[in-house]
Amino acid sequence: MNMRFRRGVVAAAVLLAQANAAEAHIAASRLGDFYAGALHPLTDLQDIILWGAMGVLAGSLGAATGRWLVLVFPLGLLAGLVLGQSFGVASMWATVDAAMMLVLGLLLAAATRIPTGLLCALAFALALIRGAANASDLGPETDRLLFAAGLACAGYAAITLAMALALAFRGLDSSPSTSWQKIALRALGGWIAAIGLMMVGFGLAS
Amino acid sequence: MRYLAAALLVLAALILPSQTRAHEASLGVLELREVRPGAFIGHWTMEPTMGADHVDLRMPPHCFVRLPELNCGEKGLVGPVTITNLGADMSAVLIRIIPLAGEARSYTISSANPVVSVLAAGAPTLQTWIELARTYVNYGIDHILLGADHLLFVLGLIWIVRGGWRLTKTITAFTVGHSVSLAAAAFGLIGVPERPLNACIALSIVFVGIEIIKQQRGEAGLTARYPWAIAFTFGLVHGIGFAGALAALGLERRLLPAALLFFNLGVEIGQLAFVLLVLALIWAHRRLDAVLPRWGDTLPAYTIGSVSMFWFFGRLLSVFAAT
Amino acid sequence: MTMTQNGEAMSLRIVRALAVAIAGLVLAQPAFAHEQVGVGGGLVSGLLHPLTGLDHLIAMVAVGIWGAQLGAPAIWVLPITFPLVMAVGGVLGVLRIPLPMPEIVIALSALVLGAAVAMRLRLPFAAAAAVVAVFAIFHGHAHGAELPNSANPLAYGVGFIVATGLLHLCGITIGTLTRWPAGERLIQGLGAVIALLGGYFLAQSLGAVA
Repeated sequence: MNMRFRRGVVAAAVLLAQANAAEAHIAASRLGDFYAGALHPLTDLQDIILWGAMGVLAGSLGAATGRWLVLVFPLGLLAGLVLGQSFGVASMWATVDAAMMLVLGLLLAAATRIPTGLLCALAFALALIRGAANASDLGPETDRLLFAAGLACAGYAAITLAMALALAFRGLDSSPSTSWQKIALRALGGWIAAIGLMMVGFGLAS
Repeated sequence: MRYLAAALLVLAALILPSQTRAHEASLGVLELREVRPGAFIGHWTMEPTMGADHVDLRMPPHCFVRLPELNCGEKGLVGPVTITNLGADMSAVLIRIIPLAGEARSYTISSANPVVSVLAAGAPTLQTWIELARTYVNYGIDHILLGADHLLFVLGLIWIVRGGWRLTKTITAFTVGHSVSLAAAAFGLIGVPERPLNACIALSIVFVGIEIIKQQRGEAGLTARYPWAIAFTFGLVHGIGFAGALAALGLERRLLPAALLFFNLGVEIGQLAFVLLVLALIWAHRRLDAVLPRWGDTLPAYTIGSVSMFWFFGRLLSVFAAT
Repeated sequence: MTMTQNGEAMSLRIVRALAVAIAGLVLAQPAFAHEQVGVGGGLVSGLLHPLTGLDHLIAMVAVGIWGAQLGAPAIWVLPITFPLVMAVGGVLGVLRIPLPMPEIVIALSALVLGAAVAMRLRLPFAAAAAVVAVFAIFHGHAHGAELPNSANPLAYGVGFIVATGLLHLCGITIGTLTRWPAGERLIQGLGAVIALLGGYFLAQSLGAVA
């Protein structure tokens, strides 16, 4: 009975997922998967660096460009999770991740003006890759819906906070491009790109 | 006002005696008798229907277990005990521990409460206190973070009060409210059946949703005027809910006050973390100028309202199903 | 924009997620944490690698000081591009492509950079950049060679880039003393000390070669 109910729930995604969560509070054992989904990326260095880089890059471009990521990024994660689950995760992803790190770092270091559309595409691509990578943590027992909800929520919160922090740190758009805050953000981009470059090398070597 | 009346009706319903359904025969009872210090012989006085061999019993990591033998060495049987495969065929397992000295203790492992922490027998030592603190602070955190209904209520409060000193007062009032009723319920001063209470908690969230809409229409709702009073009152209701969870943990009487304190502490930590995160996200959205368009203003309130109404009906149904 | 409405509907759940993360950290209880192998160890060894070799350490600080002495644009181009150039060397190290006489060049870098600081050498920007880039590749090579041996290469990479960046920051902070005449002299003295140490390491590695 509960199973059939659950299947019905899948259709009415967000609202009912929430409702289910509360039922779980009373019968409390299923919600673990929500937190598993939310915490998995936060314990993975690859995700921390890439999500952080994406957030800082978007934040450094200003609110008007960056804010679309609040929606695009979690949606990309969900799409990636679905893809990763259907097609499996290839081992070459580590190199793709590293290349992504390099690209994001270079864009940040060069302080490129990226148009909104391109930034969204970039964020979606990254989210797709990382969502697929996170699918590897889905076990046969895992409640997919809760796991996905957790992952998307973590993505939303992380990207939103990272963008807002970067934006607050950077200061006004009109401040000189050699203000130490802007230089610090670009230097961070240099660091990220450097890490990415080395990991690309490592990926090619092994 | 109409909803307050409805809330009163539900409260009245609480007075009616509610019978609990008889348990299905999927209960198991495992008796662990200490034969030498740290060494136990276990046997099933009531075998679960799925068969004793299928129970995936996990003892604390320092224990060696191959039933009927269980050896925990010098530290004794102290720490988390869990059964990983509770489910439809086995709803709960009662574990009775009969130590060499002192009285026997019982712990219930159920799907609602899959891990129990066994505490050392005898006079509480520092080790016991640390174990107790760790266990119950964690229970508290888990409980609040898994309690979507409590968090939704807190979210509603944040929405109405909008940060600052007033929010601090409101959240504190909610905390005081649920601490008081949690203590009262845990010491058996008040007893409220779980199902109607849960329905009531859902209703409190509906109330908050309505208050948000009222505020958006420019009417000064009760919550906007006296946020702390509302928070305190509903805090009382939610606190009884917490107590239900605490009671299910099968706690020894002598350690109850301390456990209560630690549990409450855990709830506070979880709640504070939640509030801080929500405030951080609100700040982030303002900073990014990623705010709702005008037509979407009422959406969050309606979402909160519909979700909680959905819970309310679901829970109300379970009230009637039970009686 | 429709984002916040979605955001708010979601926020509740994430919020819980992060709260759990925080609580998890507070209580150091790895509840559902998926453990990546050797992150801590990799990070620490990466952080320490540039710090434990005195020859690396003084050269990195000297780069920062020199950048500050040269002023704009060197002072801000340096922290942005140096890690990248170093990573190029790192890749060579990872791929096991040998560089000629790495020990000697690294010791030489401390000597040259220290001397540049001591003498307040004002090279044109492009020339200074070229000198620093060559040394960066050698330093990166030395760190990169260790990377595949690390328990967690990514964590090691993060550690050593961060440590290098912080050493620069140290150097640039020291370099800001140039604003005061006394500070300027102090820095030149420091440069001389670095150059001397570099000379000592150079003699040592030459002795090892001979």
